[in-house]
Amino acid sequence: MFKFAFKNMAIKKAKIILIVISIVISACVGILAYNVFEQVDSGFKTTAAYYDMIIGPSGSSTQLAMNTMFFTDKPLGTISYEYVEELQKDTRVNKVVPFTMGDSYNGVKIVGTTADFLEGKELDEGEMYSEKFQCVIGSAVAEKYGLTLGSALVTSHGLTEGGHAHEGSPLTVVGILAATKTAYDNVIFTPCETVWATHSHSDEESEEESHTQEQEEPGQHAHTDEASHSDTNDDTHEEHGEVCAILVKSKSFNAYSQLSAEYGENSKLLVINPSEVLREVLENVDMSTQIVYALCIIILIMNIFIISVITLLNMYDSKKEIALMRLIGIGMNKINFVYIIQNGIIGFVSTVLAFVCSRLCLMLMGGYVASMGIVLDITKIYPLEIAIMAVVFVISVLPTVVCTLNMSKKDGINE
Amino acid sequence: MIKVKNVSKQFANETAIDYSDITFEKGKSYMLLGASGCGKSTLLNMIAGILSPERGSIEIAGEDMTGKSQKEKDKFRIQKIGYIFQDFKLIPEMTVADNIAILRLERVDISDTDKVLDSLGILDKKNKKVKHLSGGEKQRVAIARAIVKKPEIILADEPTGNLNFAIGEAVIKQLIEVSEGKTLIAVTHDERLGKYFDHIIDMNQVTGGRRDV
Repeated sequence: MFKFAFKNMAIKKAKIILIVISIVISACVGILAYNVFEQVDSGFKTTAAYYDMIIGPSGSSTQLAMNTMFFTDKPLGTISYEYVEELQKDTRVNKVVPFTMGDSYNGVKIVGTTADFLEGKELDEGEMYSEKFQCVIGSAVAEKYGLTLGSALVTSHGLTEGGHAHEGSPLTVVGILAATKTAYDNVIFTPCETVWATHSHSDEESEEESHTQEQEEPGQHAHTDEASHSDTNDDTHEEHGEVCAILVKSKSFNAYSQLSAEYGENSKLLVINPSEVLREVLENVDMSTQIVYALCIIILIMNIFIISVITLLNMYDSKKEIALMRLIGIGMNKINFVYIIQNGIIGFVSTVLAFVCSRLCLMLMGGYVASMGIVLDITKIYPLEIAIMAVVFVISVLPTVVCTLNMSKKDGINE
Repeated sequence: MIKVKNVSKQFANETAIDYSDITFEKGKSYMLLGASGCGKSTLLNMIAGILSPERGSIEIAGEDMTGKSQKEKDKFRIQKIGYIFQDFKLIPEMTVADNIAILRLERVDISDTDKVLDSLGILDKKNKKVKHLSGGEKQRVAIARAIVKKPEIILADEPTGNLNFAIGEAVIKQLIEVSEGKTLIAVTHDERLGKYFDHIIDMNQVTGGRRDV
């Protein structure tokens, strides 16, 4: 029976390919939209959940959150390191991590921070930095630029290529992070002291060239304010440079509330809860997702219609064939079974292909989403995805069942 | 033995055909002659269980077929009757072998396919699509499908209708040959082929044509 069903399908391959393509597209869009939203949502929440407060200079909340969590965009500017010291002494605080950014290596952003920032991240090679001018690089950076342990990196001023090179203060690679397929793969990490010292050198060099350095855009040169005004004290300058943001993990919700209120009063500062900010971002994403869902539903409804029409036309074309089989004595139940097998195979193959396509799309999208620090796991399957696939399968088989049942009533012999 | 007793068949166009009693002996061949519309094909269809008479009975081997359900008639047809249709009733996109293999859906033994195709001289066409065959070859495929299951009764509705006389005569000869020991009832317009059959029945005399209801 299966053999005959396959042979019968082979002689109608053009129609069948059209049906399969139609089903695969609609199902793939539905599965993909749901999976991506769920993974981005959970990725955002996981990333944002660790720190309950980020303090930065006043400006955009989203920019501050995205810059510190996912290294996107420019920093808002700088704030004094004194806030870090103040928070480190605060008994309500569990962890304080300074965050600074302003230089780059071939366009790769350099983040000045403490080793705490990389807690939980695995090193593929080497060790965590312990001194200034040492750095730990992301796996993608190592691969792209052929960097190994001991490589010296001459960084440049600013977050894009073409800035002034800090030739006098190269960084030495002491560790390479294991690949995570997140934004961490594309960043270079070094102690804050490196960044401050680099700019101290740079400023000394620059001062010789020109004494009229103009005030820079926030993020273009995040750590020179103090340096440019305190060139008489390099040591102090190195230890008390400025930072772009401070990531804080407080001991309790009460502690967070108090700290948030206290620092929030300072008009020069912006205090955000990363979870809340990312939730707002997600709400916008959610709206887009809902639009995608609506489109998916429309596509699915259209496909129910298209698949039904194609199946009905197919069955209409098959009436002669069915009558022929009936005349030579093949029972209607056997004929029904053959057509249900055929459409079952079409439905099954389409559903599986839709799933495979959705995973291929996830792989392709992985690179883009990884820039936001979220890994799209192609092995992750949500229950609703299985439900979508089940619905697609039913849609592909149902019209045939209806048609064959209808023909059974008429016996099919006099068609 | 097939006995047609007091049978009447009514049609949707409000006409009917009444049949005189006819008996078809086992192992004999019969040629049904007659004008169009006199009820030749209708009789074959009633014997095959495709159509049911409004009145009378059709007994096959002592069993009244008219009282059976459609499912039972289908089962009888697939097992005991080989029906050769005027327009072949083959699936053109499928190969000769696949057209015969359709019978497997009802678990019919078709292990003699090659032997039958060989006896009909079309074994070399076994894997060709039916749409690429000539009319005579298609008719032979239809015959092969009808006889491969070793039926007790062979019904042939205008088996030479689409063929020229020479090919038609060759097909009838082969049909007679492969039907040896079986009951063969063939409808044809061509009286010249009568010499190959054991009996010729003039259906005009059996039914007297159609009457209005």
